[in-house]
Amino acid sequence: MPIRSVPLLLALLVLAPAAPAAAATESGAALVRTWCSGCHRERAPGQFERISDIRKTPEGWVMTLFRMRQVHHLALPDEVHDALVRHLADTQGLAPAEAAPGRFALERRPNVQDLDLGPELGVMCGRCHSLARVALQRRDADEWLKHMHFHMGQFPSLEYQASGRDRPWWEIASTKLPAELAALYPLATPAWRDWQARAKPELAGRWVVVGHVPGGRDFYGTAEIRRDAAGEYRAQYALTEVGGGALAGESHAIVYTGFEWRGRGTLGGHATREIYAASEDGRRLTGRWFDPEHSEEGGDFTALRADAPAEVLAVLPQALKVGTGAHVVVVGTGLAGAAAPSFGDGARAVVARREANVLEADVTVAADAAPGNRVVSAGAASGRLVVYRQIDALEVRPAYGIARVGGGRIAPVTAQFEAIGATRLPGGELVSLGPVAAEWRAEPFDEEAKRTADVDFAGRLEANGRYRPAGAGPNPKREFSGNNVGNLAIVARARDAGDALEGRGHLVVTVQRWNTPPIY
Amino acid sequence: MSELKPTNRKAELLLDAAAEGRAAEVYAMDTVAGCATTFDPGWEVDPFGGVASLCQPMEADLYGCSDPCWWPAQVPDTMNTYPDWDAGKPSAQNDWRELDAVFPKK
Repeated sequence: MPIRSVPLLLALLVLAPAAPAAAATESGAALVRTWCSGCHRERAPGQFERISDIRKTPEGWVMTLFRMRQVHHLALPDEVHDALVRHLADTQGLAPAEAAPGRFALERRPNVQDLDLGPELGVMCGRCHSLARVALQRRDADEWLKHMHFHMGQFPSLEYQASGRDRPWWEIASTKLPAELAALYPLATPAWRDWQARAKPELAGRWVVVGHVPGGRDFYGTAEIRRDAAGEYRAQYALTEVGGGALAGESHAIVYTGFEWRGRGTLGGHATREIYAASEDGRRLTGRWFDPEHSEEGGDFTALRADAPAEVLAVLPQALKVGTGAHVVVVGTGLAGAAAPSFGDGARAVVARREANVLEADVTVAADAAPGNRVVSAGAASGRLVVYRQIDALEVRPAYGIARVGGGRIAPVTAQFEAIGATRLPGGELVSLGPVAAEWRAEPFDEEAKRTADVDFAGRLEANGRYRPAGAGPNPKREFSGNNVGNLAIVARARDAGDALEGRGHLVVTVQRWNTPPIY
Repeated sequence: MSELKPTNRKAELLLDAAAEGRAAEVYAMDTVAGCATTFDPGWEVDPFGGVASLCQPMEADLYGCSDPCWWPAQVPDTMNTYPDWDAGKPSAQNDWRELDAVFPKK
């Protein structure tokens, strides 16, 4: 046996110990020593080559360990994997302020505009990845350089692809960019040092919750969060859908890095995944939940401690037309009190329910009420309501969306559009009314889409603005047996507008992807 | 046509198909519209923000992406990272339903 193979053999022995279950009880640092040091040398006590030079989100560490298993055949039991992710995210994570700009990627929000990190990083990293993926890592220049070497070794043809072959790619990747990345995202930062030193928020207690599912569904209610025997969190949700019925849910969550809530549970009988962030003071949880099989389908989530200082979380609906009435729900803290609640000039309210965290009232707006912003006040809290006479502008969000055909083992990816109305106040100011009811239709985006009849093949647009793409695979009915892709204009027409007021968005229905990590 | 001599197997097949009146069928699956590695049309969206210049159908060149590690963030690369991704699935246009996503949902 050549002598150079001996270290490799030893490393493999360390990677696959005989008694993995025992390892799960070890401390985090000991787990790294047991399971990782076969390749990642412990250069100083508790300091492991490569590993100790990087900080990442929980999802980032999951992806790293996935690669260790997939590429380097690390035989890692699931319980050790989970313990390693917790240890690494807790000790080498991102501070709340550091994770904030890229949170949309952790939350798997569909059709979000990516970060702008300048032209060089856009070409170097953004041609394959979201730039949020870059912004959710921290390394120094020498470690960023190793990252470049890894890419060169693992994906060698990237140098020959467009934006690689047409410029001194390796020279840029190996000389200029490590320093640029280290300046943007260095390993040691005051934010991380401060966050490590802080006491982390305790999240057990009673919370007030509001949620919005794009496409027209709003929720409110409460969450009871407690710690279980293992110290992990259990949440019970008692929610009400605006205009609908009660909705119960629960989840089991682990909080990483002191603030990164990752839950799995059910809501209304449907499986959910929760990606929330606790505020640094522990009074607020914000983020998104989604269907584990369809991460594009989910909702915005905000929770406030029920005993937090008075605050209105949401007024539902957020806009009322003059001369009409609606059942309005105000959600927040400190809403109770002796004084009658107010919805502002020209709005008359009959209170149907009033508690500290919810106020329900039938609100009528006089036909001659002046259009404009109103202050909603209840107890010590105040919120905002818009009184409007007409819808003057309609914006389709997202302005540019992607849907993907699905079939076989890959689920389709739908695209949800919303029509956001706005009214022009007498003073000229354009004020958002939030999502408004609309009628939807799809049109060819351009002449080529018209020629290839994309509207007929790519899928169908539902009444609530959700696009369901057609099936994957070659379609013999299309030119070249093409896929059911399409280049479409998504048009909304406001139901509440006298004139034919329309808004337009752009939808690309495209092919599936098979590489589906938690951070694109 | 008699002046043209096929120089590889694909060209021979095309010639055979033309003789049998199947040229259009071969053209549809063997010549990928808008797909050339020197042009890099993009995986899901073309340089013009649409889909007209993408490989169509995608399955006709899918293994031409996975084998040389093209778009490795979207298509599993069989060069290094997922060598067995397409094992036992020799024809992308017939076997695409059996191709798995590579990152397990947990």
